Amino acid sequence: MSQVLTQPAPQRPPWLAALARVNAVDIVLWLLRIGVVVVVVAGTIGTILKDRYTAAQWVDFVVFGLTIGAIYAQIALGYTMVYGVLRMINFAHGDFVMCGAFAGYFVATPLSRSGFLQDHAVLGMSAILAVSVLTSTTIALLTERIAYRPFRRVSGLAPLICAIGVSFFLEQTFRGMFGSAVKSYPTPAWQAVAFDVFGFHIPRVDVLVIALAIFFMGGLYLIVQRTKMGTAMRAVAEDGEAAALMGIDVNKVVVFTFILGGAMAGIAGVFYAFVYKQVYFYMGFTPGIKAFGAAVLGGIGNIPGAMLGGIFLGMVESIGPTLFLDGLGIPAPYQLRDLIAFTLLIMVLVFRPQGLLGEKMAKKRA
Amino acid sequence: MSEHRPPALRAVLIGLVFGAIAVHLAIVGVLLMIHQRWIVIDTLSLGQATLVTIGLGAGAMAATRVARQGGAFGGGAVGHLLIGAIAGAACGVPIAVLAALMVLLPLQSIFIALSPDLLDMLTFGQGIEFGMPMLITGATLTGLAGAALSLAPPDLRRALVPGAVTVVVAGVFQELIQLMLQQWEGVVTDIREFFYTWEGLSVQGAVALFVIATGLGLLFRMAQRHRVARRGPPDPKRTRLMWAGISLLVLIVLPALAGSYIGQVLMLVGLYILMGMGLNLEVGLAGLLDLGFVAFFAVGAYTTAILTADSHVALMHLPYWGAMPVSVLLAVGVGVLFGLPVLGVRGDYLAVATMGLGEIVRVLVLSDFAAPLLGGAQGILQIPKPRIGDFVLGTPVSLFYLTLVCSGVAAFIAWRLENSRLGRAWMALRDDEDVAQALGINLVQSKLLAYGLGAAFAGLAGSIFAAMLTSVYPSSFQLLISVNVLALIIVGGMGSLPGVVLGSIALIGLPELLREFGEYRYLFYGVALVIMMRLKPEGLWPSEARQRELHSRDETLALDAGTDAVPAQGD
Amino acid sequence: MTEDIKQPGFRRLVLLTAAMVAFGVGVARAATAGPVTDDIGVLRIPQGAPILVGGSWVQSGPDTALGLNQKRAVEIAMKDLGGKLLGHPLKLDAEDDLCTAEGGQTVATKFAANPQIVVVLGPGCSSAATPGAPILWQVGIVDICTSCTAPKLTAADRKPEYAGFARTVYSDIEQGKADATDAVKMAKAKTVATIHDGSPYAQQLQQVFADNVVAMGGKVVAQEAVAPTDVDMHPVLTRIASAKPDLIYYPLFTAVAAQVSRQAKETPGLEKVKLMGGTSMLSADFIEGAGPSVIGLLFGNPDLSPDAIGKGYSKFVADCKKAYGEAPISGFHANAYDAPTLTVKAIVKVAKPDKDGNLYIGRKAFRDAVFSIRFEGISGPIACDPYGECSQFKPSVLEFTSGDPKTFGIGQNPKKIWP
Repeated sequence: MSQVLTQPAPQRPPWLAALARVNAVDIVLWLLRIGVVVVVVAGTIGTILKDRYTAAQWVDFVVFGLTIGAIYAQIALGYTMVYGVLRMINFAHGDFVMCGAFAGYFVATPLSRSGFLQDHAVLGMSAILAVSVLTSTTIALLTERIAYRPFRRVSGLAPLICAIGVSFFLEQTFRGMFGSAVKSYPTPAWQAVAFDVFGFHIPRVDVLVIALAIFFMGGLYLIVQRTKMGTAMRAVAEDGEAAALMGIDVNKVVVFTFILGGAMAGIAGVFYAFVYKQVYFYMGFTPGIKAFGAAVLGGIGNIPGAMLGGIFLGMVESIGPTLFLDGLGIPAPYQLRDLIAFTLLIMVLVFRPQGLLGEKMAKKRA
Repeated sequence: MSEHRPPALRAVLIGLVFGAIAVHLAIVGVLLMIHQRWIVIDTLSLGQATLVTIGLGAGAMAATRVARQGGAFGGGAVGHLLIGAIAGAACGVPIAVLAALMVLLPLQSIFIALSPDLLDMLTFGQGIEFGMPMLITGATLTGLAGAALSLAPPDLRRALVPGAVTVVVAGVFQELIQLMLQQWEGVVTDIREFFYTWEGLSVQGAVALFVIATGLGLLFRMAQRHRVARRGPPDPKRTRLMWAGISLLVLIVLPALAGSYIGQVLMLVGLYILMGMGLNLEVGLAGLLDLGFVAFFAVGAYTTAILTADSHVALMHLPYWGAMPVSVLLAVGVGVLFGLPVLGVRGDYLAVATMGLGEIVRVLVLSDFAAPLLGGAQGILQIPKPRIGDFVLGTPVSLFYLTLVCSGVAAFIAWRLENSRLGRAWMALRDDEDVAQALGINLVQSKLLAYGLGAAFAGLAGSIFAAMLTSVYPSSFQLLISVNVLALIIVGGMGSLPGVVLGSIALIGLPELLREFGEYRYLFYGVALVIMMRLKPEGLWPSEARQRELHSRDETLALDAGTDAVPAQGD
Repeated sequence: MTEDIKQPGFRRLVLLTAAMVAFGVGVARAATAGPVTDDIGVLRIPQGAPILVGGSWVQSGPDTALGLNQKRAVEIAMKDLGGKLLGHPLKLDAEDDLCTAEGGQTVATKFAANPQIVVVLGPGCSSAATPGAPILWQVGIVDICTSCTAPKLTAADRKPEYAGFARTVYSDIEQGKADATDAVKMAKAKTVATIHDGSPYAQQLQQVFADNVVAMGGKVVAQEAVAPTDVDMHPVLTRIASAKPDLIYYPLFTAVAAQVSRQAKETPGLEKVKLMGGTSMLSADFIEGAGPSVIGLLFGNPDLSPDAIGKGYSKFVADCKKAYGEAPISGFHANAYDAPTLTVKAIVKVAKPDKDGNLYIGRKAFRDAVFSIRFEGISGPIACDPYGECSQFKPSVLEFTSGDPKTFGIGQNPKKIWP
């Protein structure tokens, strides 16, 4: 965050004095918090008492949540890095994921048809990932050059609107090029196998995606923490003007950020498509919005925060409806999945306005 | 473009970029679609016109850029023309390469738009051997023409361009224009038949239109110069007010004259103006970034539906005028409730928190859980139209005037608020929350009032929306509405009331005009958003305080009067 | 701005507008033009002018495939019909209704303002048709809907403002009842679960289905819902698995339906459960999306005419690939294909030329013709009842036999297994 002003340290008067200063707003907020906690606890107890699910099913819920969470986390990284460096919400980031997934599709299909993907799994996957990453990165860089760079010195929300425009443009371009139809990734036999861990049945593709996502995110973290470019990136995120004065080429740093973000989007696109199979032009929108939420949840601009936020959101979406609502006898709880996810997100922000791992935000954006 | 590159190389690069635009249009399928529409019947298709424009643009841009840096090939007109021709040829190359690839490879199995018909268009139906040289030659010539155009005397150029644009606009929007002309069938039939055939402009019509528009353009420029010579340059502020007055008048009278479709579109524009003014209080004045504004709109619409509809979920059967104030009040209540939990959340965190609140409302409205109360996926049908005595406000035009009255009242309130104590408190809040608190401004009260009052406008819009549709469905309350409302106040200019009107017209009216492009309209819409923001990042009509902030360097150009005069323009 | 409104000029303007509108409506009633007299109005198509057919489908946003697919089917049908009629070119003017109420209303208003529009085909969504159809009928334009299945639109007690509305697709009540019968009687399911995606179509259909299953003595063990943008169906399927149904019914649209089909096969406890979908799945695109998991999937569909199963339907699929580079991308294309056929037959029946080559169509006569014509369409026999229900519903059950989208074609994949 630029210019971190020191907050007045919270005083801790005796509890009676504190009680005297409580006003109506505080009461409402506390009622709200208590209300949410009561619903969550009552629902959870109800669900556990109902005893409708086996242990294996609970493990399934967790695995599914981790998988989608790992994908959200990777997309959220792109949001968070761009925000850290440029202080802008890159609304088109979800569409970079879509672009990568499409590019990967056109490699995966012929590779699968010729049997190569089956026989040389590592090589085949690497090729698909490489093409996807290349495409996403290229599009991210072009977007930055054409649509975002002119706004480098403009304050306000104009870049956000520009990003929305880019999002429409990318979606419609891909729809025009490849059609509105759903395209489907192949399923090589080695993906369909399931692991047996302690007697639980875990699909291999999920394990692969989670493991590889952690691997790539770890790599990214190391790049940002250990390399010279990463250090420059953190410097620009901390204070762009000071970094420029210190001789850091801000343009280069921004380009580097978009390369990293684009690459993560490409990887996420391929993983997403291998788990959920379908690619179509609008597929980036919803995960994009969710990942944006995850980035903010973790504390926007904070890389481990984005990972944590993504996993948290994925888990809540997968387990939440069953755990909290089943016990209350609410019909069709999975229709309320987004409601639960966003309620918890807001609750986190009520308790911690700066996100899970974010720093206190002293100076807001204009 | 680097300063050090030789002029010819720069021309080639510019040409290639323009060529890439043409290739993009071809690959996404736009080119073929617009090629199937005539601007001038049997003479010039919209696709051909687009390609020519791209070639002209490449030539003109290369020539002016090179000229700005000292010319090429010894300078002079010949050098410029040569540069234009090079750029034009370079522009043709990517298109020619695409055509060649289409012949060599089965590209249509991946890029579904690369059909044989497209190849036919790109090669002028001559096959690849003759088509490719023709394409390059044509591109070179248009590049040359573009350069020549950029060399032409400015008066001539500025007259020719509107002439060409008029013909293209008249051709592209022929359906819309013919529709309006048909309203006066009998009076203008002969005129219509002179200019138009059923598929596009007639040849004589196009020529006449071009001559008239060019002539008018020339006359206008001469008159302007004459006036400037006599009275000095016009006061930009007065010009702006004059234009605003004229457009407002058009906005008010047009639906009555142009019929129900225009009325319907302007009615939607009016609803967005209402919402925009509400969000403007939150974002523009108080600086509270809100991506969940659609929630209040939904509350307004559903309240009206539940109180008036002839449906099993209805609580009462009030007349519309009874339900409307309740909708507004309930929206205010929800706005305050909505603001409470996010009081301590700032900046982009607030954007996500409010987006979450908006989504929560949408999911609830749709859910089976709340269906016994709100109708769920089936919505609420049979909402009566508002009536005054025996007169039912049933047509889009009459509803438009209702919206107009409401917008007028709302604009007045918004304007008074802006200049009130509360408005100044909001602006202090926007500029720096901590300083505002230190100045003794009650943050909680100001913020909650911003949410509540902003929500009131959206609730009113929602209420009219329900009456307009006579049915409400959850699918009408998507996140995209919030994004659109936010976009329109940014495009219009943050914190500026006239900006809200302009932004609504641009963002809601534009997609309606682009209907002509069918499934491609959001492609153009996206491009238009990017271009608008690049040209005017501070918005179409920025509030004057804000303009000063953004352009502190060219302070002298900024207008110095306060915002007070602006809303009076309607007189 | 407020000052303007208070001016007397404004009030006069409102009155003027009202008078103009009233006058316009008055003119539309009972008229004679050329050789035709009609109770509602007569449409004159000047010599050489096109016969304008309006089209209202969603062409942007996440539901694009649904609308674009029907638009293409109509375009192919118009080409098959010769593209010309009585010396006038047939022209489709298709607009994007966004699959929302406000979009449908805007498009309907646009068409209603165009006196040359003969008929409007579409919309694809009931929510767009509900506010749209009365606006069209107010000026005497018939609306032939291609995939809006809400029962209210053609109910016997529908309001007179819907009198101009007909559809070449069947009501959810018929479809849901037939599907329930298939599930209980043919597939021998005793317990069923349903999933809908919050669309009015799927929600209504699964409710009708569930009610009928209960009436037939079956048991509904779960009624779940997802969002159309969801991709991870595992949790909701796991939840269903804990209720142990014999059959899952999910009449959803392509993307989310394919997601459910695939993930159901992967969910422990659902390996043996029978899956049953809706007519919305009748497309190559669904097979592409769902892959091998479609094999054995059942869905109820009106019994297609022998002509359709013969060469009519496969020719249609081939034409679609040729013209647009892809096979049908969503269900309901057969229903959409039949709408222009109905239109053309009705025009031929009532249109009268004069000696200068102008064509006259009586609005009321055209409406009555649409409601009285009978023919064998590719989606089954078409014959409207007095309330605009034109698809003669003869239930049948189809089953997918292969996960390869190239094999898509009615008769082989999916194959008719009942009756």
